[in-house]
Amino acid sequence: MHIPDGFLSPPVWATLDVAAVPAVALMARGARQEIEERRIPLLGVMGAFVFAAQMINFPVGLGTSGHLVGGTLLAITLGPAAASIVMTAIIVLQAFIFQDGGIVTLGANVVNMAVVGVLAGYLPYRLVSGAGARRDGDNPTSTRWRSSAIFLGGVLSVLASACLALAELLISGVPMPRRMLWVSLGLFLVSALIEGVITLAAVGAIERLNPLWVRSPKDSGSRALGVVAIAAVLLVVAGVVGASAAPDGVWSLAAQLGMSAQPPSWLHAPLAGYQVRNFESTWVRKASAGIAGLLMTYAICALAGRAMAARALTTRAGVRQRSA
Amino acid sequence: MHHVVVEQWSRGSSPLHALDARAKLGALLGFLIAISTTPPLAQAAFAAYAGVLFSALVAARLPLGAMFRRAALVLPFAATFALITWWSGDGARALALAEKSFLSGLAALLLIATTPMTQLLRALDSLGMPRPLVLVIQFLYRYLFVISEQAQHMRLASRCRQGPSAGRRSRFRAAAGAVGVLFARSWERADGIYQAMLARGFTGRFPAFAPARFRIRDGAFLVAVTAISVAIRVSL
Repeated sequence: MHIPDGFLSPPVWATLDVAAVPAVALMARGARQEIEERRIPLLGVMGAFVFAAQMINFPVGLGTSGHLVGGTLLAITLGPAAASIVMTAIIVLQAFIFQDGGIVTLGANVVNMAVVGVLAGYLPYRLVSGAGARRDGDNPTSTRWRSSAIFLGGVLSVLASACLALAELLISGVPMPRRMLWVSLGLFLVSALIEGVITLAAVGAIERLNPLWVRSPKDSGSRALGVVAIAAVLLVVAGVVGASAAPDGVWSLAAQLGMSAQPPSWLHAPLAGYQVRNFESTWVRKASAGIAGLLMTYAICALAGRAMAARALTTRAGVRQRSA
Repeated sequence: MHHVVVEQWSRGSSPLHALDARAKLGALLGFLIAISTTPPLAQAAFAAYAGVLFSALVAARLPLGAMFRRAALVLPFAATFALITWWSGDGARALALAEKSFLSGLAALLLIATTPMTQLLRALDSLGMPRPLVLVIQFLYRYLFVISEQAQHMRLASRCRQGPSAGRRSRFRAAAGAVGVLFARSWERADGIYQAMLARGFTGRFPAFAPARFRIRDGAFLVAVTAISVAIRVSL
């Protein structure tokens, strides 16, 4: 679900844009560890593969067909950070070329699908490496564990990103009756299950062609990414629970609870200073918060880039010293 | 495929095409932020945004009908939520949702229809987007159409082989197989591409034929669009 421009309220998109920048920077760094640096261009071609694979229809019953979304498939073939970069690239291109998803909501879409979606999809696969499922050839139990992890990964990936998108829309004050909310959650669950089945089948087909293309759970991704993945899933759960507790938006909940028109202070994210439904607040505050968000995004981006480059230099120097 | 049309538009010549991509990107962001913060009841402001976009479309000598149709791609999603909003009794807000998403989509389309992808990516690169991501987007865009076409050929071939009577299970398995084969072919193609590029002296970034320069008129355009957006946002 790509959120177009105009749907998220400024505090929501600004916060997510700011959150997306360090996340993508972290993933870019991780991708350099997972894939030899010289092979980074390969990821672009694999992104084109995901685009193309989405055209292949899978019959899923009742006369309908589904297609692969691909986050989990990429995560267990290329590694989670590299997969996240590829999905980010796909989302950026879709926003610019195919009018699929907005520009100021780019951060939201990247967080939903490329960061949380990929990490949530990868999490079960990462966990089976610890759950006694060593990948030792023909052991049927471990194969079953692995298969269920891949299936569950596909399910979680789609479910997490869809629920997160829904939560963001609700927090932005897009009204949705409670019954509609349940219907859409049901639809998300169905498409998540479809993604699980398709991912499992596709990974099986890839593995038959060349087993080396599918990474073993153990040597894919660092522990830090695992922690981030768990945090991402928890974030989604919290977001969905919070949002479904207040289907008319968090602000109306606050109003019901007898708080004044002022939202609670913890909702004053660094940029908040405006209220979604309160249009008397001056435009200056809104606009300057938006611009401040962008500037902050840019500053964080630039600083993270500097820091990463500096660290890369020192580690490389260290390696050179050790080898000398 | 219709993306090729945008690629052709972006090669046009007009004052808008000639501007630096960074200026256009900055102006787009200012414009989108103004739209995004506009309250739903300010219909005059939406009309003014539409007027700005319309004059930009004319200045860029772009085909109006085709641009509107493409920007309308956002409408199914927008209309769904607008209907829900309208249904729950907030008509003004429903209208504003559809207007905001259509105008924003049109503005983004205007950028991509006046800026070749290579220039846009170079602008993103020089504004600090991580290099791996820029490279991935570059390759993705280059090979998107090649591999999509391959997928279409495979789909056609498998339809010819199966006929309409194949069972669901076998069609499902065939689709999974097709994804696997497509993966293998993409992987091998990527390897081949990479070797070929190394042989031709690829250093990790694409050379720019004409170095992008931020001139006075680029700055003037950026300031003007931002000022107009802010003015509309404040006064209407």
